[in-house]
Amino acid sequence: MGRQGKKTAPAGPTRRKVLVTALAAGAGVAGARILGLRNLDASGSLTTAMDEMDMSMATAMGDPMDDYDAMFGVPDDSFFGAQDLDPANVPQPRPATLPAVNVRPGVAVQPPISGIGAPKLAGDVDWISPLSKESAKVTHLLRRATFGATDAELDRAQSEGFARTIERLIDSPFVEPPVFPAPAAPRPSASPSMAPRASASPSARPSASASAMPSPTSAPITTFTMRPSATPAPTMAAAVPTASASAPAVMTNTTSINIGNLQGWWLDWMTKSPTPFAERMTLFWHGHFTSDYRKVGTNSPAIYWQNLTWRRMALGDFKSMLLKVTPDLAMLRYLDLAASTGRAPNENYARELLELFTMGVGNYTEDDVKAAAKALTGWRLPTRAEATVQTGIFDTRRAYSGAVTFLGKTGTFNTESVVDTILAHDATAPYIVRQLVTSFVTPSPSDAYIARLADRFRRSRYDTKLLMRDILTSPEFVAPETFRSLIKSPTDFMVSTAKALGATNLSGTIRQYGSTLGQNMFDPPSVAGWADGATWISSNTMLQRANFVTAAIGSMRTTPSAARAHERHLDSVLAQGTVNEFNLARDDKSRWFAIFASPEFQLK
Amino acid sequence: MGATDLSRLSRRDFLKNGFVFGAGAAGLAAGYAAVPDVFARAVYGGKRDGVMNDRVLVMIQLAGGADGLQTVIPLQDPRLRTLRPQLSQAANTALPLDGNFGLNRSMRGVKTLFDQGKVAIVHGVGYPQPNYSHFDSIRIWETGDPMRRQQDGWLGKTIAANYDSAGHPLVGCACGSSEIPGALRDLDATLSVVNGQNTFKFNGTDAERAMGVIYNGTPGIYGALFDTSVFSARDTMARLRLAREKYTPRAAYNDNVNLVYSSRNQLASALQLAAQLIISGVGAKILHVTLGGFDTHDQQMARVDSLMGYVDSAISAFHADLTAYGMADRVLIATWSEFGRRAAETANGGTDHGAAAPMFLIGDTVKGGFYGEAPSLSALDRGGSLKYTVDFRQVYQEILESHLQVDAQEVLGKQFERIAAVRTA
Repeated sequence: MGRQGKKTAPAGPTRRKVLVTALAAGAGVAGARILGLRNLDASGSLTTAMDEMDMSMATAMGDPMDDYDAMFGVPDDSFFGAQDLDPANVPQPRPATLPAVNVRPGVAVQPPISGIGAPKLAGDVDWISPLSKESAKVTHLLRRATFGATDAELDRAQSEGFARTIERLIDSPFVEPPVFPAPAAPRPSASPSMAPRASASPSARPSASASAMPSPTSAPITTFTMRPSATPAPTMAAAVPTASASAPAVMTNTTSINIGNLQGWWLDWMTKSPTPFAERMTLFWHGHFTSDYRKVGTNSPAIYWQNLTWRRMALGDFKSMLLKVTPDLAMLRYLDLAASTGRAPNENYARELLELFTMGVGNYTEDDVKAAAKALTGWRLPTRAEATVQTGIFDTRRAYSGAVTFLGKTGTFNTESVVDTILAHDATAPYIVRQLVTSFVTPSPSDAYIARLADRFRRSRYDTKLLMRDILTSPEFVAPETFRSLIKSPTDFMVSTAKALGATNLSGTIRQYGSTLGQNMFDPPSVAGWADGATWISSNTMLQRANFVTAAIGSMRTTPSAARAHERHLDSVLAQGTVNEFNLARDDKSRWFAIFASPEFQLK
Repeated sequence: MGATDLSRLSRRDFLKNGFVFGAGAAGLAAGYAAVPDVFARAVYGGKRDGVMNDRVLVMIQLAGGADGLQTVIPLQDPRLRTLRPQLSQAANTALPLDGNFGLNRSMRGVKTLFDQGKVAIVHGVGYPQPNYSHFDSIRIWETGDPMRRQQDGWLGKTIAANYDSAGHPLVGCACGSSEIPGALRDLDATLSVVNGQNTFKFNGTDAERAMGVIYNGTPGIYGALFDTSVFSARDTMARLRLAREKYTPRAAYNDNVNLVYSSRNQLASALQLAAQLIISGVGAKILHVTLGGFDTHDQQMARVDSLMGYVDSAISAFHADLTAYGMADRVLIATWSEFGRRAAETANGGTDHGAAAPMFLIGDTVKGGFYGEAPSLSALDRGGSLKYTVDFRQVYQEILESHLQVDAQEVLGKQFERIAAVRTA
């Protein structure tokens, strides 16, 4: 599902009409005025009047139309303080005609019967972009690259400025989340020695000693001393939670985990991490290299370890990533690679590797899938005796040993050469670039933009850190049509709300609403991940987003002042409806409701 | 994941171009208008010219893999006792339907309906190369695709292809759930999930009014989507309020069945909500409810009896309710489960995941009796499961073509051999 939205994207509306609203930030309700609106009418007659105004209203600030004046009063220049109305900044109009639509014929339509007034649709009116201003660039960056910001984070980023904040986000080492607690277990035995790890290089044909026998006694034993620190080292092979007198028991690959606790653990860290860009990238890779706890199972920590792995590899080079993804325990289970043998290859992983993870449909054939399936065989899950092994083990005896023809090349392949061949293919770089760009920048990137980024990505040997830096510093990232062109996913929306409110214990509420809003961590609807964009919005999800806001605000005994919320969180670019409600609100809690439930806040 | 996909765009433009607003709504007085007769029987045209089909489908998912052999019990086959020394005792207390099969003893209501010719039992429903994973097999049944290439649910596709769900989000409704079931999902369909009619509302005291104020004339490429979604939510809420006003249940929905394992979804209250939506004419067309707890790996005798008793009383009450309101001739109930269970029992009186199992079609439009061929207990597949004799898509096709009168091939991708179990309107 997620991939459907990433292929062709809709052209947007024209900017012939611009709707400009501004809210004078007074000292509280008394000081706030709406742009000349007097008789607020919830049934929609107000927007009918607005519809009759056009460009002349927007540009002729000191020169309103006569009937405008009578209806709304003379606008005060101060209302427009935050707006940049330089016509030079109005972008090129988009095509007025939209592509042909498959409107289904013969469908009888029944008039609504509920008496609820239908909304007056704005048609092709668009948001006016504030992204020429430094401060708006900063908030835009924080929305796109992290999950919005707390007041402190926002202040810091504003003082550093846009370029410096990008550098900080990308270059700061990712802080690991706290170790996920293992369930209470009997104290580990006195012996500190543990079974050996699998080879750290998953693609190599391992030496016979490591793979010949599953029993640890026949393989080299490595002795570890218990590390006193709870922070795992940032290498996959070495990370094992330590045991101390009061810490949880050592987690083995048969330790059960509680998925609700794991979801809460991650949501908590998304809200609190000092390097939220790490969480944003981890969430992206989680949606890209999907796995699902229902199939992976919770009778091992595999899906937890996978989360750590994704974070550690998040800005690495794409080849290393694929070499970590393929033998990942959760992935081996989820896409049946552990069950795939040379004699009976299972195509599931090979297919999704090509279709979803690297190249996209149309760039390979069914024969390529079969060939890759053979070439990728050999991986297996660790046995009970290999209790502390956290990654798949390669066993040559399980692997296919013959030649195959894959993507036009014939020979004997292993995981590494499969990956190399994929990376040598022209389709790979643009595909990955497009996934990232549609997630971080715009639903409708131009081919030239993709090609430019893909070219550098490929030439850098698929350096993801370089690619992310390119994306965030690209002019397209702050182009006017990028503003509010993406819809926040449920997790994005809820974590942003928590951060804006400074709330620290909303992860339980977020988990609860994650189910109704369609996004729970470790629980994507299919291997294609979450469908992004417009699919997040429906009557149910809008209802439940509003209910989440009510719950979030209600959970706080005191809320921060909402007086400047529209500036800090909505860039002072507001639609009339939001303005109306904000001004009707009697207290901070109601104002926060208007802010978080608004369409402006659903967008990023 | 096919060729040029218009999912997001087509939906947005459908909203812009296909939405019919205005005249009807503006003409109604403030407050809730009385529901005219023509609306009381929700009328939606199918794609075929001149077809006005006011029928409703209710799919009941028995989640976990419901054991067919303890539901539709072979009475004459000695192999049953060999395979199931303990569980075959169900045959002793079964309610005989004919000489060969009996219903689980808890299903008195369904037995009565069967005697009235309103129950079709389709034997041996499954698909080639059975998949024993809950996750995968549920997806197969939900998408109608044993190859698991399709993403959208078969009911979602049906809705997207045939009904104005954007304007009437109760066309496809999951009752008693909190998320959209896979069978209903489709990017081009607007769907409702009503966990309970009492919970489908804005929680904040002022929130509904505030949302109505905010979501008017929203700019941007998603503006219409936001505004119409909020409108739909409020419209649905109003319709549910209307439905509550106009409906009093005429059947007893409280059951005294002692459920051994509690189910996450209360089937009876979910079906009551479904009845309410249908009877009050708010535009419900395809409803989906779920009962969990069927993954009976051990000690299943009493548990399956309990679960089927719960199913039986809920369906009976639902049918009685519709009959009292004169709507039973419009509604078809169909049960489905991701697989049946293994023919042989396990050492601790349960069963492993299996394959083929019977499906029930219940309603006044049904041509009662048995369909398909009961899988032989002497010719199990290599895994020890019953071999399928009817592809589940044959049953879907019958539901779509004969009951809803829509183009089944558009949804299922091809034609299947007909199971003629439902009368066309």
